[in-house]
Order: sequence, then C-alpha cells, then structure tokens
Amino acid sequence: MQKTLFNLIQQYRTISISGMCKNAGKTTTLNNLIQNTPHSEILALTSIGRDGESVDTVTQTHKPGIYIREGSLFATAQDLLQYCDVTKEIIENTNIATPLGRIVLIRALSDGHVQLAGPSTVQQLVLIKEMFKTFGADRIFIDGAVGRKSLCSRSLANASILCTGASYNKSLDETIADTAFVCNLLMTEEMTEIKTLIDVEHLSQKYALMGKDISCYPDSSDMSKILKQAKDAKYLYVEGAITDSFLKSMIRFGFPKGLIFVTRDASKLLITEETQRKLVARDGRFGVLERINLAAITINPYSAYGGHFDAQEFITKMSEAVSIPVINPMR
Amino acid sequence: MIDLDYEQKKRIGFTYVLDLIQPTSPYGKEALRHILPASVEQEQSLRMELENIAKIQKILKVSEQAVIKLLEIFQQLRYIRASIEGIGGQMSEVDLFEIKRLLIQLDEIIPIFEEINTDAQLNNITMVQTKQALMILDPEESKIASFHISTKSFPVLATVRNEKKEVEKKLREAIVPEEKKALQAIRTGLVNHEQKEEQKAILWLSQKLEPWRKILLDNIDAIGKLDLTVQKAKLAITYGGCLPKIVEGKIKLTNMSNPQMRSILNQSERQFTPISIEMKAGVTAITGANMGGKSVALKTLALNVLLIHYGFFPFAEEAVCPVFEAIHLISDDLESSDRGLSSFGGEIVKLLEIQNDVCNAETLVLLDEFARGTNPSEGSAIARGVCAYLNKQKAFTVMTTHYEGVAALANAHYQVAGLRKLELDAKALKDMQKTTLGERIAKIASYMDYGLIRVSIDEELPKDAINICRLLSLDKEIVDLIEMHMVL
Repeated sequence: MQKTLFNLIQQYRTISISGMCKNAGKTTTLNNLIQNTPHSEILALTSIGRDGESVDTVTQTHKPGIYIREGSLFATAQDLLQYCDVTKEIIENTNIATPLGRIVLIRALSDGHVQLAGPSTVQQLVLIKEMFKTFGADRIFIDGAVGRKSLCSRSLANASILCTGASYNKSLDETIADTAFVCNLLMTEEMTEIKTLIDVEHLSQKYALMGKDISCYPDSSDMSKILKQAKDAKYLYVEGAITDSFLKSMIRFGFPKGLIFVTRDASKLLITEETQRKLVARDGRFGVLERINLAAITINPYSAYGGHFDAQEFITKMSEAVSIPVINPMR
Repeated sequence: MIDLDYEQKKRIGFTYVLDLIQPTSPYGKEALRHILPASVEQEQSLRMELENIAKIQKILKVSEQAVIKLLEIFQQLRYIRASIEGIGGQMSEVDLFEIKRLLIQLDEIIPIFEEINTDAQLNNITMVQTKQALMILDPEESKIASFHISTKSFPVLATVRNEKKEVEKKLREAIVPEEKKALQAIRTGLVNHEQKEEQKAILWLSQKLEPWRKILLDNIDAIGKLDLTVQKAKLAITYGGCLPKIVEGKIKLTNMSNPQMRSILNQSERQFTPISIEMKAGVTAITGANMGGKSVALKTLALNVLLIHYGFFPFAEEAVCPVFEAIHLISDDLESSDRGLSSFGGEIVKLLEIQNDVCNAETLVLLDEFARGTNPSEGSAIARGVCAYLNKQKAFTVMTTHYEGVAALANAHYQVAGLRKLELDAKALKDMQKTTLGERIAKIASYMDYGLIRVSIDEELPKDAINICRLLSLDKEIVDLIEMHMVL
C-alpha cells in the first residue's frame, strides 16, 4: 500500500511546511495532515507570518480554509481571532508583537475554521513551539511562507515538507527541475567528520579552513589567496550564509580540488543552480553540520494563473527527479 | 523647579544611580520611569516615602523570604493598564484573559503583602482584596490562568454552543458533498449566533467588573510603589544610605559618597574619599588645587540632595536637608553653544535666569568654578562679586573656585584636603628624585586627599600646584622662576 503523507511524518513531533511559490498547496497539505492525525493526539498549529486567508491577498484566488478539531491548539495574531470561528479558550497572550497584534495561544473548545498569523522569525517560532509543548501538544505543524527555507531548520522542525505546484512556472519541466534543485540542496549531506573537529571557538569566526590544521578568518577579503595556498584543505566552514556572489568569486579564483563548502544547515545555502553546477564542475561540493530532514514533496497541479498540469504526469516526473516521496494531497 | 537637565543629571551621577535599580514588576518600572522630585508642598508625603524605605529595610532583615516571594510574583506580572482602563466599556476576550490572570496573581500577592504590612505599617501603600472580582471571570473557581466565556451565566449561549457541537459532530461523519454543504450552512448560522451571544456576554462581564476598575488601578499603583520602595531599600543597603531628616534652614551631609565616582576610581584602583559638609543659607565656598576634588565634592553634594528630593536615601552616614523648591547647577560645561554664546556667556545667562529664585530660602544654587572660562583677573573679580551678592541672599549657595579672595566673602569655607598630609622636606624631595616618573605620579595620587576640611573664610589657597611641580621633579630653574613670580 502506498504511504500516506501522515505516515511519512508520523515519527516526528514538529513538522514545517514550506512552498516553492504561492498557491503551491501548503494549506491543502496542512489540511491533509490535520485530517489524518489520530483524534487522540493534541494538535498545535501556527504559521510564519500570515497564512490561511480564505482569499489569497496577492492573487485573489479562492484558498482552502484551515479546519481544526476540538481540543487543538493554535497560535495566531490577536486581530485575526474574529475570523476564527471555533469556540475559544485563551491560554496565553505572548509578548511577540506583529502588525496584526500580539500572538495569542488558543485552545479550540469546538471544531472550526482558523486563520493563522504566527511570528515572523524562526527564533520566535521556536518559543511558540516550546509553549505548545508545555500546553500538552503532541504534534506541531508550522505553516510556512514562500522562500523561507529557514523553516526547515532542525532547531525548529524535526521534519519538513516542500510544496510545489503549477503556479510556480508554466513549464512543467522547469517546475520539476527547480523543485528538484531546491530539494537536493536542502538535503545536502551532513559532514560527520567536521562536526568532531569544529568547536565554539571556530564558530565565533566567520570562516574556518580545515585541512591538517584549522585556521579561522573573520572575513573573506583574502580568502581567494588563502585558498590558493591551502593545498591540503578539505573543508571551508562558513558561519552564516554561503551566497552566490561569494561562491562565484571562489570559483573564479580557484580552490583546492575536492574542497567541501560547509554551512550550519542547507537553509544557509543561498545559491543558484548554475553556480552549483560550476562548483561541481570544479570538483567542489557542499556539506552541512546538520542535515535537514525533508520528508516529502507535495504537488498541486492547479495553477492560480491558469494552465494546469496533468496530475499523473506531474507526480511521475517529480518522483523521478528526487529521491524522496512525492504526494498529491488532494487525492 | 529642579533645574538640572539630562546631561547634568548624568554628570553628577544621578542617572547612574537610577540605572542601578531594576524594579521587578512592569508597574515598578513604570513608577521609576515617571519618577518626579517632591516639591515644598509635598514635604509630608516625601517624609512618608522616605520612612517607607526604612520600614522595608527592617522587613528585609526579619522576613526577607516573604519579600523575595512577593518579588517573584511581581516578576510574572504583565503590563495591562490599558486593559484595566477599558473595563466597563468595549473589551476583548484577550483583555478579560489578562484581567483574570492579574486577579489570580493578586490573590497570591495580597495575603503576602498583608503579612508584610502588619509588621511594616507602610505609609500610603494599601491593597484591596479582589476575590469577588475573580469570581466574575472564574465562576467555576478553576484558578487556571486561561480564559473562555463560560456558559454558566449565559443559558442562550449554552444552547447555541450545544447545537453547534451537534452539527460539527455530524460534519465529521458526513461524506456526501451536498450533505456537508448543508451542514456547513447550518453551522455558519450558529457561529454567527454564538458570536453575537459572546459579544453580549463580554459586555455583561465588562459591566459587572466596572466597580473593580478603580480598585485594580489602585492595586497596580500600590504594586509599583512597593516594588520601587523595595529597590530603593536594597540600593541603600548595598551602597550605604541613611534616612534623611527633612529640616528647614540647614544642610548637613556626613561622609557622603557617589556610586558613579566610586566606580570610576575603583577601576583605577583608587578609593573614593567620603565628603562631609554642613551649611546654612548664603555662600559656602569650596576651594582647592586644580586637581578635581572640588568638582567631585560639588557633584556629590548635588547628587545626594537630588536623591532626597526623588525619595531616595542619600549615600551618607547622616543627612539633614530641607525640601528645596528650586535647585540650580551652573557649570561652564553647560550646553550654551546652541545659543551662540561662549561658555562664560552661558553662565551669565543662567545667572540671569535664576535671579528671581535666589532671594528665596527654598533655593539651592550650585556654582562650579564660576567664571573660569574668562580671563583670570576679570574672572576673579566676577567670582568675588557674585559671591558677595549671593551671600546676602536667602538662598543656599555652594561655590567651588580656585580664585583667591572669593572664600573671604562667603560665610563658610571648605578646602579639599589635597596634599596637606605630605611633608615636603628636603629629604623627601631628594628621595622622590630617585624614583621614576610613573612612581612619582602614583605617589602624588596616593597622598592626594579629596576629603573636605572646614577652614576659616580667610584661609589662603593651598599651594598644591607648586608642590606638584616639585614632586614631579620639574627642573629646579623653572621651579625657582615660578616661586619668584609668585612673590611678585
């Protein structure tokens, strides 16, 4: 029997959902998970920023609402409480401020619709997650926003789901290629060896070059020169993001063969597919200290802009392009 | 009017002292933010406020645990003044949640406060029991800090919610789309009805709470006052403060300290010398060599007098002080450049501004090196003139100066002890010459006494400057020439 989406995340407590674009089916994915979660579990929901409006404020398309069961918890901004039609018990009023008021934690005393507008930073989401736990949440779903890869960070979520859909690009092939690129980048390999080498002292500097010895640098001004001389270097650890422009200049000036560019996790890799190809062509690659746990990709063949994909073709081709399960949450 | 601007308060170390205290509750923080000096009319309440600090200090000795417990609860309080002020009118469920939580916290706070207050008998700090108000928001007496509109007092709401629940149950089991749609439509109707009933319930609760509005506001004010008083008491214990006597016509401060100066000196491993001063109306002059001691004395006096007015214990062993209606500090580091004046011009403008106040006994004027910025012969004459004038006035004036002949026109004279203790015989000087420059500087610093000594008004200025030249082993030829010019 084919596994359901819920089966894939069943063993994880906190799951984040992020999308390749708007209308990629995040809410559908969330509703699918909510419906399939056993009734005995206390569910908790929040989002990064605002989501779950019945009409998409950017594209004006009808969006599915989030419908939760009695007993579930959710965190949303105070001004949105009037749009949540569950009978509410307020369990906490946090200090986290948003343009829509402070984030409030609610226990649903009945079934009903909710609109989510959670905090805007991952650190604040971690706080909300911890509060949910103290109020007895068994499972926490975090609805994401477009382009917020940091949501996949393991400090926040034990597992993540990536949503993609026809709204991303008119071309099915390009949608699949780009989704596969993001998926593979997110799943960048964990460097177990470097984890034992690196310590707090290295993390306080921006760059750490590791070969036989470890040397640290606060900035990248002489990095190309340093890399030229460091013939035996194996890893270049970057605290913070590896950007496209940084990587391009490294590729232009050259680096030791087989060098692995390492970041904390793959959400810190802000690079284009083209640059990654060039890196691989020069025998370089990426590594991370903590591998993101991408559990599945979900697809939405319907586009908010017209021009839908064939659902079967989409799922088949997407499955071929990635190594993780691909699921259509509408089915 | 306490006429010290932010920069001056910072320089005398007042801002530093305020930063030393950290109220635990948001209401204590609010009270600190809005702290104001007492005026002459508020003398009685200032006395009571100061007494409260002494009472709390006593409590801290006998039952510190109760205070610690209280502060722990204070720390969990949230700033919800706006929600309380909204009682009686339009409120939200979140407002009611916050008020319920406060009422639960008050339920814990008030018994501990009563216990403390039985011993302490604090002036003007009282709290009123709010158990009855909690019953309104927590009819089930759950004492859980969460809030929902209970159906206990609202039978219609109870019916609507039950009907809604039935529909939702059916919705969970419905499979056929048409059936689902029909159920959803019924649910929407019930949701609207529920929301209307909830609005009614909130308004009812809000009105029911109305009589408690003022009581809650008074209670949070009392918490703020108490919190701030505890912090003031702890500060006085840490830095050494005393209950001042508020008395007209006399200032007496014995062994005063200044935490900011003390911390600066401690960083360079030097000690702060306590300063004592006693004065009446008219001018008290402080003289001394150009080594800083005068300014420190003036600033420390300003700080401690100001602290008393703000309801703090002064950092002193003994303190007697009237309540001043006006305190003016004039120093040539005044911000005068924006008025296009030299620093000297700025001093004169300031003097003009305070002229009406100086004939008043409830005025304290602090002049730091008045007319220092102008040429010495005129500056000296100006300082003497101003001193003679102010000495005839009812105001209290303290003048620091390094000009000769000013103190003779004042009614009291203090000198920075300076290098008095240092015996400058030939042998000592010779020994000095053998040491390095660094050692010589350290030696002078160690002999420098910043304490104040009461001297007669016609006592000459100490000749510390020339002694410093000698001690640093300045070329003998130069020292001889300096001495020759001193005689001339």
